[in-house]
Amino acid sequence: MKTHSSSLLTLALLALLCGLGVSDVCAQEAGTSSVDFPYTGNRTAVWIVAQLHILFAAFILGAPIFVVISEWLGYRKQDPRYDRLAKEVTKVTVILFSMTAVTGGLFIFVLLAAYPQFTTSFINQFYVVFAILYPALFIAETILMYAYLYTWDIWKGEKKGRHIALGVLLNLVCLLILFVINGPTSFMNTPPKAEGVSPQDFIAAATLWDKIANQSWFPLSLHRIDGNVAFGGFIAGMIAAYMYMAAKTKEERAYYDWMGFVAIWIAVGGSLLQPFTGLLLAYEMCDYDFSFCPYMMADQLSMFFEMQGIMIGLLFLGINYYSWLSVKRIEGADNVRMSILTPIVLIALLPVTMWVMNSWWIPDPMSLAFLLPLTLSPFLLGRFIPVTVSARTVIKIGFIVMLISDAVWLTPAGFVATGTDMPDEMKLPEGWDYLSSMPAKLSAILTLVFVTIVNFVLYNRAIKQGTILWGKIDFAAQFVLIFLAFTSTWIMGLMGAVRSLLKKYFHTYSLVSDLSAESFTPTLSYSAGWITAITVFFIAVVTVAALIAIRPSVAPAKEPEGNPVPVPVK
Amino acid sequence: MWNLFKKLAVGLVVGGGLAAIANSQEVPVSFQLLFFVISVIGAGIFALLDAKTMNVMSGGMSFITVTVFWVFLISVCVAGASFLPQFDPEDEKAKIGKLLDKERKQSAQGKTEELIARAKALDAQVKALEDRLKGIGGGQAVAAVQVSPSGEKPAPAGGGASGDIMKIGEEQWQLQECYNCHKLRGEGGKKRGPELDNIGTLLTIEEIQQKIADPKSFMAEGYDKEWQKGIMPDKFKDLMDPKEMLALATWLGSFKNTAINTPKPIKKK
Repeated sequence: MKTHSSSLLTLALLALLCGLGVSDVCAQEAGTSSVDFPYTGNRTAVWIVAQLHILFAAFILGAPIFVVISEWLGYRKQDPRYDRLAKEVTKVTVILFSMTAVTGGLFIFVLLAAYPQFTTSFINQFYVVFAILYPALFIAETILMYAYLYTWDIWKGEKKGRHIALGVLLNLVCLLILFVINGPTSFMNTPPKAEGVSPQDFIAAATLWDKIANQSWFPLSLHRIDGNVAFGGFIAGMIAAYMYMAAKTKEERAYYDWMGFVAIWIAVGGSLLQPFTGLLLAYEMCDYDFSFCPYMMADQLSMFFEMQGIMIGLLFLGINYYSWLSVKRIEGADNVRMSILTPIVLIALLPVTMWVMNSWWIPDPMSLAFLLPLTLSPFLLGRFIPVTVSARTVIKIGFIVMLISDAVWLTPAGFVATGTDMPDEMKLPEGWDYLSSMPAKLSAILTLVFVTIVNFVLYNRAIKQGTILWGKIDFAAQFVLIFLAFTSTWIMGLMGAVRSLLKKYFHTYSLVSDLSAESFTPTLSYSAGWITAITVFFIAVVTVAALIAIRPSVAPAKEPEGNPVPVPVK
Repeated sequence: MWNLFKKLAVGLVVGGGLAAIANSQEVPVSFQLLFFVISVIGAGIFALLDAKTMNVMSGGMSFITVTVFWVFLISVCVAGASFLPQFDPEDEKAKIGKLLDKERKQSAQGKTEELIARAKALDAQVKALEDRLKGIGGGQAVAAVQVSPSGEKPAPAGGGASGDIMKIGEEQWQLQECYNCHKLRGEGGKKRGPELDNIGTLLTIEEIQQKIADPKSFMAEGYDKEWQKGIMPDKFKDLMDPKEMLALATWLGSFKNTAINTPKPIKKK
């Protein structure tokens, strides 16, 4: 009897195996996997390699932009520090280029192991991109990158223009790579669709261009371009901090102090655009399918965005604290004064913007009629008002305004993990609930951006009137540079997770379901742990790459202390 | 040091004041804590602004300090995120399980799992029969054993009974997350879509079904902008089968609360 019952089971399993062997249904369907990654599971394994790949790729796409700009500035101003900065960052970029390729290869292998059917069908769907365009561009980028580095010392002097042109060509190829790979990426979130046609039918008839040029393709690309510039700047700033700490001579310290400063202000330039391109991306996604909006803002991802708010608030505080330390190292900065209008506008901007945005929400241009004159008034009318305040007072008022803006930026509708379970006693009462609205959030970020711009203007005024003591910056500034690099990397990891999670239980939204047991939203705590681990690993690799690539053995051209820099534009 | 304590004291006073004002306005405690924490952080920032210049470090000292700083940053990020409210993924897993149940069953993996489950159930029944036979002896009649055709899981409800159809309808309301945009029974969002407590008075079940399948077929009075922009997704006809859509429409059609001002639907198609 025992053999009878067990043979029944055996027969059933044999039939099953035969069925699987002859059927090609399994090969066509998403959800079946031949492996189960230990400890992390399949999805987190893909998450780790994908995020690492994105971080390295973001740096190698963003760094060439400011490297070429820096090289051009050095050529124009005949300042060898810019050229040295560009060359050193390029050396680090070339090493990280290899890491990008390694993590990219690992990404594909892990995808194939974890989600073989989906990965194969996805690659087939975009075979022109994955088999032709992307490899061709990648090879072109490799050739140009190495050519750019190894012709540095050959093409100098009169041939410098040639080298800069090579850098521009490298950047164009990098941009093209970004746009090309963002096609399949954005397709997974917002595959093209048409009213009245089922998603599957539409995709079956869609061309490759239809699939690439989907609704979130361009906003994602814009957000990634200025994100890459910002990210490259922050990482370069961190490298400068390490090299400053390792510097043996005051000339080296002066150079790396300057490098940190230049890198941070390039990063800030990119960062100021990020909130707005990010809002555009979110707007387009919500326009595509409105269910993305409550998922992001009110449901499982709401606390992810609260964490984003915290990190961005800290980022802006860090940037402006670095600005304060930069001003402190300028001799004569205490004598710098600004029009009384500046602190008045700083204080008034947040409440006025909140009122204006509430009355005339985007895209009504009426809000500009109030905001443009208000923000420009200190710069245009300041000279006509004799009353002034010290730079120190302006900066401190700016910090108070930033803290209030951060409070508004961080105030949610309720501190609950999912809005559907929010009891009334957890909600903001009437009269306070405006703080959690979109007009309030936009007003807060506009104020943070404006304060940063005012501090930048103040700094420029200080260097014109005073004397910069490069190498004399407060040592705490190096920790600020490290903090900014860590924070920006962490934010990228968080936003990468959010973008991927927006697909919910789909591999490709509304087209291919993820039938595995892992297709659910992980908790913020779980996500934060992995994001932090990825960030630490990435920064450790960058640190090693920087220490290998850059050795403080090449003495820079001696810069006499006391020259105000940058040299005023003629 | 005195400067630091002074600034910290100011931060605590400001934070305490803000929390007190918020408390007097019946703002929840979590927000009072937010305002207090930001005030204390502000005090810390102002202390940093006026702090003495830090001495230059190099060599081993800078390495140790940077490492400690890294540990601090890691701790803040992980602890900070863990401190915020966390949801229970089991709720979402149950929902997704129901949504993907049909697709999973139709997949080869689902069929495999069903086959294995059936084989195991069959095996268990054979074993039960063996034990029975052993107990009563080989010559006695054996009572027929009921075989469940679907293995361990009971057959899914066909939705025929009216109680079942209402239950399925309400379940679909939760699974498709209609509450994100529509308020019903005092719960859910009300700004993006109309409140539906009186929809049964204004539309028939067939019309409700039509609206779910084709959101452009009807427009709620006063929701011109939302209708124009196509805020209500048209994906439900692909996500729900006809039985589920009928169940949801039937359930919604039972809501006839005239005390709630559900906007009049205007036929567009």
